[in-house]
Amino acid sequence: MASRVPRLDSVLGRVRLPRRPSALTAKTLSDSVARLSPVALVANPVMFVVELTFFVVAAMAVDPYAFVPAASPAERVFYVQVAAILLVTVWFSTLSDSLAEQQAKNTASSLRRLETEVPVKKVVTEGWERKVVPATSKSLLKGDLVMLDKGDVVPTDGDVLEGIAMVDESLVTGESAPVRKSPGDSLIGGSTVVSDTMTARITANPGESYLDQMVRLVESSKRPKTPNEAAITMVLFGLTGIFTIIILSMLGLSVELGLNTDLSVLIALYVCLLPTTIGALLPAIGLSGITRLYERKVVAKSGRAIETAGDTDVILLDKTGTITVGNRHVVEIIPMGGHTERDVGEAAFLSSWFDDTPEGRSVISVAYERGYVPRELNSLSLSEVYDFSANTRTSGVKIHFGSSFVLPKGSMQRVRRKFFVEDASDRGMHLSGEESEIVKGAPDSFLKVGFSVPEEFPGLVEKISSAGDTPMAVARDHQVIGLIRLRDVLKDGTKEKIDAVKAMGIRPVMITGDQPLTAKSIASEVGIDEFIPQAKPEDKFNIVKKEQAQTRVVSMIGDGTNDAPALAAADVGLAMNSGTEAAKEAANMVDLESNPAKIIDVVLLGKQLLMTRGAVTAFSISNDVAKYFAILPVMFAATLPALHSLNILGLGVHTAVLSALIFNAVIIPLLIPLAMRGVAFRPSDTMTLFLRNVLIYGVGGVIVPFVGIKLIDVLLGAL
Amino acid sequence: MTTKVEPQRPRPASYRPIVVLAVLSMLVCGLLFPLVVTGIAQGAFPYQANGSQATLNGRSVGSYLIDNNFTLPAFFHGRNESNPATASASGVDPDVPLSYALSQVPRIHNATGLPEATLIAIVTSHVQWTIWIGGDPYVNVLRLNLALIGDYPAAYSGYG
Amino acid sequence: MIDALQAFVVVAVLGAALGSGWALAPYVARVLAGSPTFLDRLLGPLEKRTYRLIGTDPSSGMGWKQYFFAALLLNVAQMAIAFLVLVGQGALPLNPQGFPGMNWELAFNTVVSFASNTNLQHYAGESTLSYFSQMGAIQFLQFTSAATGVCVMAAMVRGFKRGSANMGNFYVDFVRVVSRILLPLCLVAAVVMVALGVPQTLGGYITVKTVEGATQRLLVGPVASLVSIMQIGTNGGGYFGANSAYPFQNPTPITDILQIYLMLLLPTTLVFAFGELVGKKRETLPILIASYGLLAIDLMIAFIPSMAAVGPGIEARFGAFFSTFWTVVTTAVTTGSVNSSLAGNNPLAILSAFMGMVIQATPGGEGVGIMYMIMYIVITVFVVGLMTGRTPEYLGAKINARDVKLVMVAFLIHPVIILVPTVLAYATKAVNAIPGFSSLPTSVGFTQILYEFTSSAANNGSDFLGAAANTPFFNVATAVVIFVGRFAPIMVLLALSGSMIGRRRSESQTLRTDSGSFSLVLTGSIVLLAVLTFLPFLMLGPILTYFQGLVNFLG
Repeated sequence: MASRVPRLDSVLGRVRLPRRPSALTAKTLSDSVARLSPVALVANPVMFVVELTFFVVAAMAVDPYAFVPAASPAERVFYVQVAAILLVTVWFSTLSDSLAEQQAKNTASSLRRLETEVPVKKVVTEGWERKVVPATSKSLLKGDLVMLDKGDVVPTDGDVLEGIAMVDESLVTGESAPVRKSPGDSLIGGSTVVSDTMTARITANPGESYLDQMVRLVESSKRPKTPNEAAITMVLFGLTGIFTIIILSMLGLSVELGLNTDLSVLIALYVCLLPTTIGALLPAIGLSGITRLYERKVVAKSGRAIETAGDTDVILLDKTGTITVGNRHVVEIIPMGGHTERDVGEAAFLSSWFDDTPEGRSVISVAYERGYVPRELNSLSLSEVYDFSANTRTSGVKIHFGSSFVLPKGSMQRVRRKFFVEDASDRGMHLSGEESEIVKGAPDSFLKVGFSVPEEFPGLVEKISSAGDTPMAVARDHQVIGLIRLRDVLKDGTKEKIDAVKAMGIRPVMITGDQPLTAKSIASEVGIDEFIPQAKPEDKFNIVKKEQAQTRVVSMIGDGTNDAPALAAADVGLAMNSGTEAAKEAANMVDLESNPAKIIDVVLLGKQLLMTRGAVTAFSISNDVAKYFAILPVMFAATLPALHSLNILGLGVHTAVLSALIFNAVIIPLLIPLAMRGVAFRPSDTMTLFLRNVLIYGVGGVIVPFVGIKLIDVLLGAL
Repeated sequence: MTTKVEPQRPRPASYRPIVVLAVLSMLVCGLLFPLVVTGIAQGAFPYQANGSQATLNGRSVGSYLIDNNFTLPAFFHGRNESNPATASASGVDPDVPLSYALSQVPRIHNATGLPEATLIAIVTSHVQWTIWIGGDPYVNVLRLNLALIGDYPAAYSGYG
Repeated sequence: MIDALQAFVVVAVLGAALGSGWALAPYVARVLAGSPTFLDRLLGPLEKRTYRLIGTDPSSGMGWKQYFFAALLLNVAQMAIAFLVLVGQGALPLNPQGFPGMNWELAFNTVVSFASNTNLQHYAGESTLSYFSQMGAIQFLQFTSAATGVCVMAAMVRGFKRGSANMGNFYVDFVRVVSRILLPLCLVAAVVMVALGVPQTLGGYITVKTVEGATQRLLVGPVASLVSIMQIGTNGGGYFGANSAYPFQNPTPITDILQIYLMLLLPTTLVFAFGELVGKKRETLPILIASYGLLAIDLMIAFIPSMAAVGPGIEARFGAFFSTFWTVVTTAVTTGSVNSSLAGNNPLAILSAFMGMVIQATPGGEGVGIMYMIMYIVITVFVVGLMTGRTPEYLGAKINARDVKLVMVAFLIHPVIILVPTVLAYATKAVNAIPGFSSLPTSVGFTQILYEFTSSAANNGSDFLGAAANTPFFNVATAVVIFVGRFAPIMVLLALSGSMIGRRRSESQTLRTDSGSFSLVLTGSIVLLAVLTFLPFLMLGPILTYFQGLVNFLG
C-alpha cells in the first residue's frame, strides 16, 4: 500500500504572490450592484428568475390589493421582508461574481507588468542603414525590432535577435535570479534587462501578448462557457423549468381548491427550491479556477483547457526539470585500460571546454577542483570543435599542437598561471605538430562508431546505469580511456506530486534521453512505472498519438520547436515560456516560470475545478429536501392543519418561510470562500473521492439546511 | 452487430415493412395465439376453461368463481347482495370473509333449524387455504351452500 | 403492518421474480443481440420468410431517427387495424353476444391507450367487446406495445454500448421479441392460468339457473390468453371492467401471486439483460439496486397502516394484504391491472402507487423502465461524477451539454403532462362532470384527479375514475397525455442514445457506475429528483388523506 498522499494544498505547496490586493473593495461592491441590472443577469437563468420574483413580491408590498386573492393585505410587512431577502439573494450572487472577477484581475495584473506605456528604442532599417528611433510600446507591431539596453523594460513579448543579455523576469515569473537570454530565446513583456545590450523582434501585436489574453479570459462577460459549465447550465435550466411548473401548478391548485396560499409564500418556496446556490456561484467557480492557475504563473489560453487537464489519463513528464533538476554533476572519474584518473580527467576537461551544458560545466569544475587541468589547454583555441549532435550523441575537440598559441581571455590566463608550469614530457603527452581527437559522450555511441574499448567497459557502464547514474565515456584518439559518473539530482516535492497523480488514477510516463537502465532507476526512485528512454523529440508526438488512439486524454509539457506537433496534438499542452514561439503557439497553456513540473499542478488544479463545480451543484440540489419540509407544512397551516404532522422541524408558522429563505440567501456568501479556493481534497482514487464528496456535499447538503433553517428559526423566534 | 446505416429519411419502400408487419402481427398475436391457447385449454382443462361450473343434480347452477346471488334466509349470502358499503371490487365476489359467514349462522339456524354448532363446523371446514400464504380466511358461498344442500337434504328439500 | 408470514410471501414473490429474471436474462439478451437460440430450428425459417415478406434486410441497421419512426409508424398502423376491428366488430365473426361496433371516439381512446402500453379503459370489456375484438384488437395491441417497449430499450442500450455502429433494425427486433420472448412466455403462462381456473373459450356466454332459480350469465371467453400478455407485457388492461378483481380473471390467491410474479417477470429480466446487452454484466447492479430498493421502500410505506378486515372495494379472497401488494407492484412496473378498487386501498398504498408511477423505473414498464433508469443514471453520473474531478462519463462516454439537455427535456415531460392537465381539470370545472365528485373530501377528490393523469402519463392505466371519466375533457386530455407520455420520452431518449454512437469512449479509471456505492447514490438521486418534484402534490393528495385519518378513498 502506498503511503497516504497529503492534501492537495500541501502537494501543490503554498503560493507566493507578489502583493495581491484584497478583492473586496468599494469598486467590487459597486460593480456587484451594477450587475443587479436585469439585462446583466439574463445570462444567469436562475438568478434572473429570482430577480423577477423580487419584482413581484416588491409589487405586492407596494400594492397588495392588486394581488387579491393570492395576497393578503395584512401581510405587508412580510412582503417587505421577503422582497428584501430575495434582493439580497441576487446581490450575493452578483457579489460572488464581482469578487471572483476582481480577484482574477488582481492576480492577472500582478503578473502583468507595467500597463502604462514605456518608451522604446525602435530599430528601423532605412536602405542599408539601421537607425534607432524613439517610440512607445503601444505603437509596436509584430515583427518590429527594438534595441534593449541595460535598464530597459521589455515592452511586450518578443524573441532575442542579436546579442546576449541578462534579464530580470522576477516581476512576471517570481524567479529572482536574472536569466541569460541569447538569440532565439523569448522575452516576456514586462521583464527588465539588467546587463548588456540586445536586439529583439516583437512577436505580439498590442493586446495579443499572453498577459493580454490572460486578462481577457477573466472578464466573465467575455469568457465563453466551458463544456462542463454549459452542461451544468442545462441542469439549471431544467430544474428551473421543473420548479416553475410546480409553483405555477400549486398556484393554480391553491386558487381552485381554495387553499388560500399566499403568493409570496409560494414565491419563497419557489426561490428556495431553485438551485440558487450553484446558480449564484457557477461563474465564480470557473473564474477562480483560472485564478488559481495564474497564481502559479500558468497562463491558460482557454477555460476549456483547464477542464480537460482534469480529465487527464496520461501525463508525459520530461525527466529533466520535472523529476530531476536540470544539472547533472560529476561524482566520479573512472579510468580504464591502464589509464590514470588524471588522464581521464584531463581528457574530459578538454572535451568539455566548449560544452555549455550543465554536464560540461560540471566536468570542468570537478576536473579543476581535482587539479586535472591539461597542458594542452593553450592549444584549445586552435582546435576544431565537435558540437553535440543528437545523432552521434557525442561532443569533443580535435586539437592541433605545435602552433603558436593564443591565450583565451580572462580565466584562461588564471588557469595557465596556476597550472601550466609543469613539464608535460614526463607524462608522455603529445608533442607539437601532432593532432589529438578527444571526444566524450554516451557509452553506446562509441561502440557504434567502432572505438576500441577496454574489457571492463560494458560491465562498468551497466553498473553505473543501474545505480541510476549516467555514465559518460571519454575517448582519446578513438580509444575509450575512462568513464565519468554523472548523477541526477531529484527535484524536491516531485515524488509527492507523482504520488498524487498516481493516486488519482493518472499514469505518469517519464520521457528522457537517458539510456534505459538509468531511466529505469530514476523512474523507480520517484515511483514511475513507465518511461521512454533515449527518446528523440518526435517520440513525444508518437506517444501522444498512441495513447489517444487508446482513447486516453494526454497532458504534456514541451519547449522546443520539435515539441510543437506533440503539444498541438496533446489534449493539454503546457509550453515553457523559455521555449520557442512555435511551441507556445501550439500549446494551450504557457508556464511563465518555465518549470516543467507545473504540468502536474495544472492537472490537479483542473480536477479541483471540476470537483468544486460538482460539489456545489450536488449541495445545492440536496438542500431542497429540507426546504420542502420547512415550507410546505406551514404553507397550508391555515387550511390544511392535518399536514402539521409533517412540520418535523417544529418551525414557527410565521417564521418558517423566512428562515428557509434566509438560509437560502446566506448559504451563498458562506460558500464563496469554497468557490474561490476550490474544495480541499486528498488526491486519491476516483471512488474514494466520490464517496467522500457525496457524503460531504450530497448527504451534507441534505442535513445542513435542516440544522441551519432550524437555527435561523430559533433566532427569528427569539427576536 | 450489423454495420450498415441506412439514410435517415424514410423512403417510399420503407412503408412496406410497416404495413406487412402490422397485418402479420395482428394475425399472429391477435388470432393465432389465442386460438392455440383455446385449443390447448379445451383439450387439457375443459372444466376450468369453461368457467369452473358447479353442478347440482346434473345441471349447471353457475360458477364457483362467480357470486351465485343467494337471497333466501336459509342460505349463506354473498357480499354483494347485502349493502353497498361492503361491496367487493368486482361485484361478483363469490367469497365472503370467515367472520361474515359466521355472522350469518344465527339467521340460517332460524330458517332451517340446523344447530348453530353444525353450521359453524361446516363453515370452518370450508375455509380456504389462503391463510397459509398470508391472506385473510374466507369461504366460498356457493360451495358452502351446496354442502348444506348435499349434507342436509331434508332442510333443503326443494333444492337437493 | 404485515406479519412475518406476509413479509415472507412478499420476499418470496420478489425473490422468484429476481431469480427467474436472472435466469432468463441471458436468453433475452441473445434474442436481442441476434445470437442463436434454441428456438432457431423452429423459428429460423419462418423468420427468414417473414423478413422477405416485410422486405427488410435483417443485417442493415438504423440510425435513431429511422428506428424511432419505424416504431412509431408501426404502432400507428397497428392502431389503425385495431381501430377498424373495434368499430367494425358488429360485422366481424366471433361475436356470440352480438355486440355492436364501438363508437369511434371510444375506439380511438382505446387504441391509443393500448398501443402505448397504458390500457386506461373507459369501457367494460365483458359488456362491450366481442371475442374477436378482445383478441384482434386488445390482445394484439398488448403484444405489440410490449414488444415495442423492449425494442426501443434494446436500441437505446445499443447506442450506449461501446463500439455499436447503429441502433439495430427495428423490424428484426420486433419480430424476434414477439416470436422468441413474448409468445413462448405467454403460451406457458396462459395454459398455467387455465389450469388454475381462468376460462379460455370461444363458446359464448353461458346462461344458467342459479341454485335459487334465478337466471345468471357466466361471462366466459378467451380470458387466459389475454391475461397472460396483459401481465407479462405490463399492459394491465383487463378482459373485464373489474380487471383482476373479477374472479374469472384472477380466481384465487394463487393466481393472484402468479400474476404479481408475471408482472415483475419481464421488467426484472430486462434489468439483468441490460448488463448483458451493454457488454458489461456488472452495469446491471445500479439498476437492480435502485429499482428493487425503491420498490421495497414503496412496499414498506404501503404496508405501514394497519390492515383492516376485508373492506369495501376489496375482494374477500385477496384481503388487504394481497390488494396492497398488488397495487404497489402494478404501479411499480406501470402495468395498471388491479385486483381491488383503488378507492378501497389505504392512503399510503396509493402514495406508493404514485411513487411507482412518477419514478417509472422500479423496475418500470416493459423496456421503458430501463430507459428511464438510464436517464436517471446519466443525470446522476453528471452531477456526482463531477465531484470526482473528471468530466463525468457513463460507459466511457463523456456526458456533454447536449446529453444533459436531452435528459432534462425527457425528465421535464412528466411533470408537465401530469400537473398541467390536473390544474386544467379543476380550472375548466371538468371535475364537476364526475358524478359525486363535489361531495368528496378535497384530498380524496384531488388524489383521484392527480392519479388519473399520473397513471396516463406513466402509461400505467389504473385509475379511480373508470367509466366516470368518460367525459369529453378526460377522454381528450388523457389521450393526449398518454400519447405524449409514451412517445416523447422514447424519442428524446433514443436521440440521447443515438448521439452516443461513434463517440470517443475512454477506458480509464472513472466513476464506477457498477459499484454498490454508486447504486445507493443513484437511488437517493431518483428520490430527490422524481419524488421531490411531485411532493407538494402528493402532500395535497394521499399524504393529506392519510394525516386526515381516512382509511381509504371511498369518501
